[in-house]
Amino acid sequence: MLLLQATGTDVPVIFVRFVRLVDALNYRVGRFAMYGIFIMVAILLWSSISKTFFLPSLWTLEMAQFAMVAYYILGGPYSIQLGSNVRMDLFYGNWSPRRKAWFDSFTVLFLIFYLAVLLHGGISSTSYAIEYGERSYSAWRPYMWPIKSLMCLGLVLMLLQALSELLKDIARLRGETL
Amino acid sequence: MTYELIAILMFSTMMLMLMTGQRVFGAIGFVAVVSALFLWGTGGSDIGFAAAMKLMKWYPLLTLPMFIFMGYVLSESRIADDLYRMFHVWMGPVRGGLALGTIGLMVLVSAMNGLSVAGMAIGATIALPELLRRGYDKQMVTGVIQAGSSLGILVPPSVVLVLYAMIARQPVGQLWLAGVFPGLMMAALFMIYILIRCRLQPSLGPPLPESERRVPMAEKLRLLRAGLLPIMIFAAMMVPFVNGWTSLVESSAIGAMTAFLAAIFKGRMTKKVFETSVRQTLAVSCMFMWIILAALGFGAVFDGLGAVRAIESLFSDYLRLDPWTTLIIMQVSFLLMGTFLDDTAMLVIVAPLYVPLVGALGFDLIWYGVLYTITTQIAYMTPPFGYNLFLMRAMAPPEIRLRDIYTSIIPFVGVMIGALALVMAFPEIALWFPNYVYGK
Repeated sequence: MLLLQATGTDVPVIFVRFVRLVDALNYRVGRFAMYGIFIMVAILLWSSISKTFFLPSLWTLEMAQFAMVAYYILGGPYSIQLGSNVRMDLFYGNWSPRRKAWFDSFTVLFLIFYLAVLLHGGISSTSYAIEYGERSYSAWRPYMWPIKSLMCLGLVLMLLQALSELLKDIARLRGETL
Repeated sequence: MTYELIAILMFSTMMLMLMTGQRVFGAIGFVAVVSALFLWGTGGSDIGFAAAMKLMKWYPLLTLPMFIFMGYVLSESRIADDLYRMFHVWMGPVRGGLALGTIGLMVLVSAMNGLSVAGMAIGATIALPELLRRGYDKQMVTGVIQAGSSLGILVPPSVVLVLYAMIARQPVGQLWLAGVFPGLMMAALFMIYILIRCRLQPSLGPPLPESERRVPMAEKLRLLRAGLLPIMIFAAMMVPFVNGWTSLVESSAIGAMTAFLAAIFKGRMTKKVFETSVRQTLAVSCMFMWIILAALGFGAVFDGLGAVRAIESLFSDYLRLDPWTTLIIMQVSFLLMGTFLDDTAMLVIVAPLYVPLVGALGFDLIWYGVLYTITTQIAYMTPPFGYNLFLMRAMAPPEIRLRDIYTSIIPFVGVMIGALALVMAFPEIALWFPNYVYGK
């Protein structure tokens, strides 16, 4: 009964809590990832400095790549919150908010499916990396499991955000705003 | 089911899904993973994540967030405002001079960033009101700014060419150099058009009134210093790169840092500017990265099907077309698609289909990168979808109506198609410079 307890709205309280929690979590993670741009700049600047004046660093190239992946995967859910992911608005642009919510609540399932398959592949790749101590083929030879785990974490957050968007659309269809 | 049929099915499903208005990356990614699962069973389930690893290993992609950041710093901090003043004072007395100056301004802004957004922002918020106040024709002005800012993706550094480079597996450095002369040529063509038009109809672009022309020479010279900023930023990026001291990616970081420091020194890096540029950089980079991630998955399935060879044989064996006819047909269809699709969707379609086909036909993929970019520029400006059209609508003052925006681009699109034809007919325009620098 508790799960269906009214919240002053028609929407079960657990959904409301879920949406608030996920949005708040991804907001924080995204705001944190946002400053990753400076980490990337710093790594690349160090790379050019060390190359010109000292011995070239081995780790900068891959470290910059890892930073970039973390940047966009962890920043992904926040970018959904910001509404920056482009949509083809040939028709969509002219629809009423209600109609948009109708379509979105179905088509977001495609997005969720895609993310789930990504995550599935990510988990199998990460468990392989952990089990066999996979390293990158380079002079620096970093272990691959940390970045892969981070990617999986990002995909989980992305999935949660997609679910939160779905719930928000359903609520919108019932005339509520979460 | 034959592979050709699967390929067509994949394509049409993707188009259909895009029409539903779901986020582009979700629609493309979904079609990619579903067809992979359908074709290769559970073995196909890794394809999505494999694309993520491929994306990570593609080093030049790091330039993308750098240039986006740079573009936002430049447009948000408005450190380029003085540049406009410089052109205003120097070009004002000529008929149509402010419009000519705006094209010059756009070329300089293009050399400092890789998208058209910064050019649009500077053009629509600074140049546009000034030109309107001086009695310039509003359609002329709107067209000038849209056309000029589209140079941002052709003149290096160019984000569109970075994305193209990833798909075509071509070196970014050579692609950028290939964009230099077509970009300058296009700017010159715009200027010639403006000059002729203002000669024939002087009311479109009146010269500055006498009272405004009397600027002391000292002031004029002082304003020239504004031109140092883009030259400095461009040099800070390009000199170490061309001399081989830094890689392209490192140079882009130097460029981003230089722009950031310039904004601080000029006292323009306020809290609000900082927040907007850092947040927008994340938003736009994420948009691009997730779409590329999905498109790479889609492309991998397409490669696996051998779909490109099937289409190539359709053109060369079945229809018996020679390579040039095929290329022209492709370019025309691409232009038509460009009017309907936005640039990211186009990239995704062009990625698996056109680029390998062009390679198979024996054309130079560096050269095609320039053609691709010019076509994208046109797509940016043609309704119903166009990045620049939307930006213009969002940024322009209210007296510019949608109709003005739509009709303003017609002559400029004509000029751009002319430029496209020129680069097609004389590939040397694009290719001599990279060949010269890289000594091929």
